[in-house]
Formats: sequence, C-alpha cells, structure tokens
Amino acid sequence: MSNNLQGKVLIANRGEIAIRIMNACKDLGLEYIVVYTDADKDSEHVQRNRISGADQNAWRITSYTEPNDIFAVADHTQCTAIHPGYGFFSEDYRFARRATLRDRPLTFIGPNWEVIKSLGDKINTKRVANALKIPTIPGTDSPIYNEMEAEEIAQRLLDDQVAQDIKAPSILVKAAAGGGGMGIEEVTEIEQFRRIYRQVQNYAKRQFGDGGVLIEQCLRDYNHLEVQLVCSRHGERIHFGSRNCTIQSTGRQKRVEAAPGFHSSCFTYDFDEQKVLEQIVDYSLKLAAHVHYDNVGTWEWIVSRSGRPYLLEVNTRIQVENDVSARISYLNHQHPNLIREQIRLGLGEKMGYKQKSVEFKGASIELRVVAEDTRRGFAPWIGTITEFHFPQYDWSTVYSHVPSDREYGIPSEYDPNLALALVWGDSMAEAKIRAAQFIDEIVIRGQDSHGGPIITNLEYLKNNLDRLLTF
Amino acid sequence: MNALLKQLHKIEERINYLVQLKDYSNWGNLDGFKETCDKLKLTVYDHSEDQFAGEIQKLHESICFLEERAEEQLTPMERVRIVRSIQRFSLKDILENVYEDYTELGGEGDANIDPAMVCAKATIVRRIKNKPYTASVMVIGQETGHGEEFRNGGSCKPEGNEKALRYMKVAETEGIPIHFYVFTPGSFPVEEYPGAAQQIARNIYTMSKLRVPMISMISEGGSGGAEAIGLSDYRMMCSHGYYSVISPEGAAAIEGKVKEGSKVPKELIEVCAERLKLTATDNLALGTIDHIIQEPPLGARRDDFAFFAKLRADVMRATDKVVLGTKSFRAFRSYEIRRKKAETEAQELQVDVSWDLNDDEIKRLLAQRSQKYRAMSTQGFSGLPTPTEKFFRRMQEMTEEVYFTIRYDILKNHQKQVQKVFKDVSGEGTVILKRVTSPITTALEFLSPQKDKKFVRPQLPSAGGALPPSSAQDPIELTDTYTSPLANMDRTITCPNSEKYGCKDLWVPDLFGEFAGVCEICGHHFALEHKWYLKNIFDPDSIRLFNSEITAENPLGYTGFDERLQSSKKKTGRNAGNMTFHARIMDIRVVVSMLYSDFRNGTVGSAEGEKFIQACEVAKRTKRPLISYVHTTGGIRIQEGTLGVTQMPKCTMAVREYIDAGGLYIVVYDNNSYAGPVASFLGCSPYQFAIRSSRIGFAGHRVIRETTGIDIPPDYHSARNALKRGHIQGIWDRREFRRNLYKSLMTMGSPHLYYR
Repeated sequence: MSNNLQGKVLIANRGEIAIRIMNACKDLGLEYIVVYTDADKDSEHVQRNRISGADQNAWRITSYTEPNDIFAVADHTQCTAIHPGYGFFSEDYRFARRATLRDRPLTFIGPNWEVIKSLGDKINTKRVANALKIPTIPGTDSPIYNEMEAEEIAQRLLDDQVAQDIKAPSILVKAAAGGGGMGIEEVTEIEQFRRIYRQVQNYAKRQFGDGGVLIEQCLRDYNHLEVQLVCSRHGERIHFGSRNCTIQSTGRQKRVEAAPGFHSSCFTYDFDEQKVLEQIVDYSLKLAAHVHYDNVGTWEWIVSRSGRPYLLEVNTRIQVENDVSARISYLNHQHPNLIREQIRLGLGEKMGYKQKSVEFKGASIELRVVAEDTRRGFAPWIGTITEFHFPQYDWSTVYSHVPSDREYGIPSEYDPNLALALVWGDSMAEAKIRAAQFIDEIVIRGQDSHGGPIITNLEYLKNNLDRLLTF
Repeated sequence: MNALLKQLHKIEERINYLVQLKDYSNWGNLDGFKETCDKLKLTVYDHSEDQFAGEIQKLHESICFLEERAEEQLTPMERVRIVRSIQRFSLKDILENVYEDYTELGGEGDANIDPAMVCAKATIVRRIKNKPYTASVMVIGQETGHGEEFRNGGSCKPEGNEKALRYMKVAETEGIPIHFYVFTPGSFPVEEYPGAAQQIARNIYTMSKLRVPMISMISEGGSGGAEAIGLSDYRMMCSHGYYSVISPEGAAAIEGKVKEGSKVPKELIEVCAERLKLTATDNLALGTIDHIIQEPPLGARRDDFAFFAKLRADVMRATDKVVLGTKSFRAFRSYEIRRKKAETEAQELQVDVSWDLNDDEIKRLLAQRSQKYRAMSTQGFSGLPTPTEKFFRRMQEMTEEVYFTIRYDILKNHQKQVQKVFKDVSGEGTVILKRVTSPITTALEFLSPQKDKKFVRPQLPSAGGALPPSSAQDPIELTDTYTSPLANMDRTITCPNSEKYGCKDLWVPDLFGEFAGVCEICGHHFALEHKWYLKNIFDPDSIRLFNSEITAENPLGYTGFDERLQSSKKKTGRNAGNMTFHARIMDIRVVVSMLYSDFRNGTVGSAEGEKFIQACEVAKRTKRPLISYVHTTGGIRIQEGTLGVTQMPKCTMAVREYIDAGGLYIVVYDNNSYAGPVASFLGCSPYQFAIRSSRIGFAGHRVIRETTGIDIPPDYHSARNALKRGHIQGIWDRREFRRNLYKSLMTMGSPHLYYR
C-alpha cells in the first residue's frame, strides 16, 4: 500500500458513516471537509471538527440532499473528491454525473455514474443478469401493458411453482414505476389475477403516470444474503465474502447481520451451503466484470429454502454493514477497512493484493442499536440521551455519532440510529455468545419530553441472535 | 344672418377636422384661422351682414385651399386619423343610407352581446327600367358609433365575432349574399371563451367555404379584427381608409423598442405608417383588395349622401360581379355585351342579376374564392421554380395524385369492400362458400400493393449507455438520441415554480439533457430549441425537407428589414421561418409544418404561408396526416403589411380544403404562440394540443393592457387556462410528445388517411 494519495475529500453525509470516512481519510493522510445541517450540529461528526475559524473544516448546509449547497462547499474549500457515504446521494447517478462532469470536476468516490445508472435500475439489472444466465426472481423483466399477456405470464409463474412443489404458490403484481413497497399486490389464484392487475395498473397510472406492471414469483421462505465486492478502476475485482441480512424490521430495515452468509452450525440446510455461497460469489463477480464495476458494491441475493439463489439487486455504494464482512476477512492477518479501501480505489489506486491474499476466518455479527419501540411497529423514539456507554473488547468495535461525554438530543429529522456494534469470534457460536454478553453490558439512558425512559431495540437484538442464519 | 352663422359653424367644424387631421400641429396657420373664427363668433353683431359674409367667404376660401392642399399631401398617418375621426361615416350610416330597410339582429344600442358588432338583415332595392327589384342581404360589420363609449370604437369582442358567425350561417341557410363592412381598429384581445384568436379562426374557417356570395368593404381594417369578417369574394376599400397588419403606433412601439408607459415618438409613428403600406392605393397595388371606392376629399363623413349613393352602386355592382362570375359563360357574355353598350354608370345597372345561386354556381363560387386567395401575396416571397421546372413539377404532382388515388382510394377501398363481402358471406357459416372464396381472397391480397396494414416496428439502435447488451428499447421512446447544446453549461437554473412546489434548483446538463427541459418536481417545461424536436419526435433519419428554396423577402421594401432578414437566414441557414418536411412517426408517414423561433421569432409572412399551403396540398395529395408543430410564433410578420395578413385567410382556406378532403390536421403549440396564425390556420384545427408550460393567445400582456386597460394575471395565456377555456383539446408532456402524437395518429382522423 502506498501512502502518496493526494486530495481533499468532501464528506457529504452524516452520522457514524461520516465519522468512519473521516477516520479513513486521516489514516490515508487525506484532508477532508464535513457538512452538517442545523439539526446535526451536536453530532460527533461535527463536534470533532472545526465549525469556524481559518481552518474551518465543517460547513453548514441547508440539507444533505441539496446538491447546490454541497458543490458550493466543495468549490469554496477546494475539495477534489466527494464521498457520498450511504443513503442520500450515494446511488444517485445524476449526482455522480454532475460531480464528475462539472467545470470543476470532483472525483466521485464510488462507481462511475454510468454503472450506477445501469445497475440502479432494477429492471435493467434483471435484464442484464438474465442475459448472463444469472438467476433472478422468475417473472417479467420489462413492464407489461397488456392484460392478456400479463395473465399468461401469471398463469405460467403459478404453474411453475406448482411444478416445484411450492406449498402456497403466489405471485406479486407490481407497478413498474413504483418503489419502496408501493403498488404491490399479491395474487394466489389465477381467477383473482385480472382484478388485481387492473387495480395495480390503475394505481400505477394514477400515481406514476405509467400503467406498466411487473409480475414476479412471490418468495416466502428465504434468506437475504449479500456479497461484498471490492473493485478498482484498473479492472481488479475481488470479494470479501458473504453476509446474511435476513433479520429486518417491518420497514425492511436490517437490524442484525452476520457473516458468513450460511453456517452449518446454525441450521441444517437442505442444500450444500458452501456451494451456494460460492455460487453467488461467482455470479456476483461475473456481473461485476460484465458491467466493468469499479468500486465497492454489494450484490443482494435471495436464497430459497431449497437453496436456489436469485439476484435481487445491486447496491452501488458502501453499505452500513460492510464491516461485518471485513471482520471475517484477513489481509496480512489484519481486518481490512473497506471504507479506506473504497477511498483509495476511488482515487484511482491499484488494489495491491489478490483474492488469494484474503483469508476468511471465524464469524462476525453486527448489531444496529436504534432508539425505537420494536413492539409498536418499530416506531422511532425521540428524546435526549443522557448516558451512552459501550463495553470495549478486542473482539468488538462500536461506530457511533452519539457523544458519550455529554447529553445528546436525537434529531427528529433523521432515523434514530444510535450505534453500530460489531462482535466477532472464531466460530458463529462464540460470536453469538459474545454478542449476547455485549448487549447486556451496553448502558444507554435517556428521556423523552414527557420524562419517559429511552426505548431501544437492545432486547429485540438479543432475542433475534438465535434466528441468525436459519430459515 | 342665421344662415351665415350656420356657415360659420360649418367652417369651424372643417377647421377642427383639419386640426385633428394634422394632429394639432398648427399646419397652414390653422390655429390662426381658428382664432379668426372664434373672434368672428364673438363679434357677430359688430359687423354688417355683407362684411360678415365677406369674412366668411374669405375664411371659406382659405379653408378650401387648405383642404385641397391637405388632400394632395395626405400622408398614411393622416388617413389613419381620418378613419379614426368621429365624424367619419359608420355602419349605422350605411345601413340608413345605402339600404332600403334594415332590421338589426341581436341588439339595440348597448343592450347587445357586443355593441361593436352589428348584424342586420337589410333590403337593397335596384331600380331597373323604373321597376324596383328588392333583394335581401345580410349586413355584418363593426360599428364605431361616432364615439359612443359602449361601441368600443368598433373593437369587437370574441362574442361579437361569434354573433357574426351565427348570422353568416343564417345567410348561408337562406342563400342570401352577405355584405361585410369592416370598421375595426382590431379585435378586443380577451381570451375568455370563445376567445379572440380562436373565434376569428372559426370565422375564417367557416367563411372560406360559405356557400353564398360575400362582399366586403374596408374602411378601417385592423389586422385580425378585420379578417374575422373580411374574407370575401370581392374586397373593396374606401379610398381614405386603411387596412393594415398592425396599428402604426403598435408597429412604432415594436420598431423603436419603446418601453411600456413611455411615449412613442410621433415621427416614428408617421414613418411606420408609411412603411406599412396601409392605404387603399397600396393595397390595390399589392392585390389584397379588388376595388377602391372613391371618397370625397379628406374622406367621407356621416352626412356625405353622395358618397352613400356611390357606395350603394359599388356594393351592388360588386355583388353582381361575384354572382356573374359563377354563372355559366353565356349568361355572363350577354351581360357583358349589354354592359359595353351602356354609356353611363347609371345605365350600367339596368340589368337584373339574380343573386340566387344553384349548386353548380356555388361550386364555382367556392372554387373561384379558393383561386382568388391562392393567388394573393405571391409577390411576397421568392424561390418558386422556373416555368420548365414548374411544368415538370406539375406533371409530377399529377402523377402522384393519380398514383395515390389509385393506391389508396380505389384499390384499398375496393379491397376493403371485397373483404367485407367475403366476411359477411363467410360469417354466415357456409363452410363450402368460404372454401370457395378463400383462394380468391388470397389472390386479391397477394395482388394488392397494400399487403399488410400492420406496421413493422423497427428496433431502434439504442445509443449510448454503459452496458454492452442493448436493453430491449421501446421504439416509442427516443431518448439519448440528441442532447441539446443548452446542456453544455455547468450552472443551475431555478424553477419558476420553486416557491410554490419547492422545486430544487436544476443543474443545466441534467435539465436540458435527461429531463428534456422539464422540471422533475413540478413539470414546468423550459424552452428547448426546435432541433430537439426534429431529433426526438420523428423516426431517426426520416426527415425530408421540401420547398426549402422558398425564400422570405421584403416585398414592401420595409426600411432596414433586408438586413434583419439576412441575419436570420444566416443564423438558421434556412430561407423561411416555416420548415416543411416529410417524416415518419412509428412508420406512419406524415407531413409536418414547423414554425420555429430562430427565424424572425416564427412570424408568418408570404413565404411561410406559401410553404404551409404547399404542405397542405402535399398532404392532401398523398393522404397523409398533416402536423403543424408551432415551436413559437410571434404572429404575422408586420414588415409584410397586408400581404402578411392575407396569409390568414389564405392558409385557412388551404387547410380547410385539406380537412374537407378527409385529412387529419393536428396542431401542437409550444413556447409562445400568439396573434394571427393562432387566429387562423392554427386555431381552426379540430385537434389542437399544447406542450405544458406553453402560452397560447391573441395578444400579449402589454397589448392587452394598452388597448383594454385590463391588467391580466401572468398565467392568463397558459396552456392550462387555454384548456379550461376550451381553446385546445389537451396538454402534452414534452417527454411523451412522440407517444401522444403516435396515439393521436392512430385514433383520430377519417378513414381517408392512407394507413387506415
């Protein structure tokens, strides 16, 4: 690894990821600038920096989603690169394009915008994957406008499921222009199909102005796996293993993740789990090579109980849970820092190591500590944190933007994520025991505006440890 | 003494008239004469009668002298002032004095839908060989009302034009001639239904094929307002009237780029009046009128009875002339012989010509009307082919006509009918019969040139994109084919609706590239250059321009216009502001006329009109749909004066003939579409659509404010409001333009279209 990187990175994000990027920049000897909004001024990612003076490196903006503000800060502070983190602009190809094409171009730390564009479109991803014979969820790969045609497809999908001995065959009818769970209806009997089809089509027409509809098999009993890829601008592509992100809140927010993706110690699978993991890694690398992927990215997979993998989508960004994969990987007997790698590769460096130098060992678990009421539909809790303490071990680490030395009001504008805790061990069993112990030792106190105590999801996290890597 | 006093009053009136005519400029010591006049009035009884008579005589002689000089040196602007004088005759005076009897329809004074428009059923009596012949006519015209406030100076509201249209149709039903009298400074520019522009368009559209003889007389012809009732078989003009594309003041304001509220310099108005060629003689020379009615010096006033007698004779002769033109040759010849024998004018009218027409005559009337307008303003452009070329072109057109008629009308209809018969027969279930007929149908299908009416949709090559495997692209989406040069700038634009909808500032490369100039949040459309449409609406490489050699000229020799025209030609590399071309949309062949802003702001002059008409003719011949895409039009090109104005009836006539022949005429407005074209050949279309955020109207904000005093809201002309008022049939998103156009082509129009 060389340490002659040049540049100044604008960190266009908030919370723990901003801090992680800051630290990575420091490690690489890069200058950085952070931005913040009014609601975040007490956050650690701001307080650790200088918000005034000649060497100011934290700048206030109106919103993290206001590109003009962000670029104005970048120009004013003479930044040369921009790191979008996750969320916000991280998968917005227009933002990436604007950053790279503007008169004062910035290096976008992430895949190039063309890749973001082509993989950001789920339908397009599916089409490309199908062309490469990578399995995707059975169904249409382009919007359907014709009712007769749609019914034929639906019938075929239902028949196929019966042929596969699936107990309750069902399909999903989705608005092609929709997203985030809107305009999705389930159909279990073909007799119901036309009614539902019309309903979704009308909804889509009304809501999105386009009556296109997608039809897919509905998968019930599955695990959600991810493959972490790291690629460079020089055509090098390696993976950092798989992870399992099946445990999610009702809003499809991941809560507990573990790596590797499957482990026989947790569950007796109906299939050869090592083979499936290898398969999805191979498929992921194949698609990445095809689109000339050039930065970190995550390939999301659905694996059915019978061991069939289906490519779900590609996240063209660094993910929250990237460190889960890093904690089972060893480069020169050390855990890699994927954010550091991302910045390094994003700035155009070569990887400097090969796939075979990455060693996989042990297991790791990530716990997302969130102030939410898991019994009441994961409702966010808003209030002030008075005490915030995490245990420290050489088999754990914590990423948080919440200060431990002073009170902190959770801003209502953003999700009430408090911290990410990572625990690892030589085996999955050990990691689980350590995670349970770790959770017990966490101290978080606080109160809301009515004086009520803080509500967190710690209990939920602990209860779900047993479910890890199972069906 | 009393008689003398009366004379003095008369003289005073004449002086005042002259003062007004000369715009209060103390010309020829008029002020002095006026003073003398006043002094005389005050000192009537200080003089003896003879003395007084002598003074009056002296005054009379001086004024007579001045009047003669004034008449000799009458400038165009002075003619405008004559016309605007409240002493000038109005339609009511004509109804009283020219016609025997009249009944006003739809109004009494100010109790009227629009007092500025008067419709009357009148009788006109001809005395032939001492025998009276009474003929009934419909009289339609604007009433200036000698300064009556509620008449609005003859500026007609859309309702008034609508009323006129109704009575034109009544006249058509009753089969009586219509006499139009144009006394308008212009139409009242309000958009409320029926809408100034749209109503004028409807009027012109109807008049172009009205089945009765129509005569018009222009005293004050202000552009659009005049055209609303000005289309006729014989156009006459008063010698002291004016007929113009715009008021001289308006032209001067445009010419001098005068800011609103500040005064337009008088000299500039005079100059513009001169340049606009708005007098009767000029118009006769330009061929926009057929005949001048001579008025007494300095114009006819409300009590010039001799003039009314002359007018009556002229109007009758004009009607006779139109009617005779439609008669078969023999009748016409016998009339001509008698006319030549007649010595005096009075004798000339001693023939009774029946004003009723039979069907053949009506057909001839319409054909002649069409020819008459087709021949107008041909001097306004250049680039017509040489006679040899013309001959070949004519031959080609004829062959085309025969070819397309055979191909689409005869063969296709025949085939359709045969198929229908077979279908009916076989539908009855006689299997044997079907077995017998099927070889014949197959053979017929095989023989016919129209083998399959289904379109083979070509797979368009997907341009750009990071991924090598081209995704199955919907051919109706032509994205990424062309990027506007506007997109090559690293800056942001604030959406005008940002306060209302919270739109984010738009980065220019995104906005004019991927978003096709549309704000993502609120859907506001930013203007795009016309090339974008050429690339994104029509099938790739399907555009074939025609008539590109027709060139806009400066027929009036408008000072300084040659250079401006030249710079436009240089800028665009084209010869006129109307692009006409053949193109395809999803393999449907269409003919397109496109007015675009780069060339003199899309104004319509003779060249543009000619190209439009030829596009209509081509579309008619080939039975293809005609699309008029209006990128922007600023109205009629004022520098061409009335030659420009005649484009309104001329183009409408052509497009009406195209529609009547079974064509599909779709108009799509974009950006700004105002004035003349909207009030004629665009506004008459049954299918008018607008691109979102475009503006459609008759007159701009400033003109409305200046002429009506009404301060209109900023979105007065918006497409949405036009839709609310019923002027257009729909609003299209620019991003879905191609899709919508294709849909329209498939769903609208008659079975006469070639692809039906």
